[in-house]
Amino acid sequence: MQNDVLELALLIAACALATYLWRGLGMLVSGRVRMESAFFVWAGCVAYALIAGLTARILLLPTGTLAATPLPERLLACALALIVYFVLRRNLLAGIAAGFVALVTLVAAR
Amino acid sequence: MVLAAGYLGFGALANGQFPLWAALLSTATIFALPGQLAMLEMSIAGSVPVIIVLTVSLTAARFLPMTVALLPMLRPAERSALSLYAAVHLLAMTGWAASMRRCPELPLEQRLPWFVGFALTNWIACLLATAVGFWLAESLPPLVRQGLVFIGPLYFVLILTGETRTRHGVVALACGAVAGPLIHLAAPQWSVMLGGLIGGTLAWGLVGAKRRA
Repeated sequence: MQNDVLELALLIAACALATYLWRGLGMLVSGRVRMESAFFVWAGCVAYALIAGLTARILLLPTGTLAATPLPERLLACALALIVYFVLRRNLLAGIAAGFVALVTLVAAR
Repeated sequence: MVLAAGYLGFGALANGQFPLWAALLSTATIFALPGQLAMLEMSIAGSVPVIIVLTVSLTAARFLPMTVALLPMLRPAERSALSLYAAVHLLAMTGWAASMRRCPELPLEQRLPWFVGFALTNWIACLLATAVGFWLAESLPPLVRQGLVFIGPLYFVLILTGETRTRHGVVALACGAVAGPLIHLAAPQWSVMLGGLIGGTLAWGLVGAKRRA
């Protein structure tokens, strides 16, 4: 148990450092680099693809709590959230609320 | 406010996987939802810690250009570097977007205090939301808990589809969304990292090739 706690704390600390690294680096190089360089464009692409891949995976092949909900319901709720979000001019809060209510209602009605 | 909704989902998702202190510690020290989500999902999948840290770092690379863009606006004349290093820790998507909009309207000496005030409020709200999400997941019926956990991915689906403007970004989203789940079927422990690298590089190559052609 004691070891688990230490391991988890170390993991979080390492992840925090890895995240802060970029903020700190940004401070250091501020005003000195060109942001349009090929490397930053590539890094941006990887970051977008990474988070899109993770999100799609959680929606399509969830683990844990979400695994108990059926796939069609998840996709339908997600589609409804997108519609509400765009119809209300990119209102994030309304979109999220719609998706939440839709998923709960759809799963309950099943 | 909206970011807090995302953290409500993170707290709910963390329940049962992470203890509350770990969820709060990650919000306080990492303060970047994609990275925290990646860390949580990958620990559940049983990834090697080194790979988890590398992946989290890749999701945070966006902070570099964000910091570079914001700093010239915040930097006070006397350049108190140490306080700036502390301030950039609070930099995240919401505070950044708001500061980029508001700061040009403020006199130079008020910008840093404004940014810190705004970002600190955000940070505290996100900590509270993490705790509330965690507790709600415990006390609510499973149905509502599923809804709460659903908020996490939903938040990113909406933000990514709604706020991505560049062609690189759009193609990278599409490539990543296909590559992520596919690779997960073959190698669940590596999927987040590989999906990002393969999907992102593919998108970069595709858009680049189109430009040259």
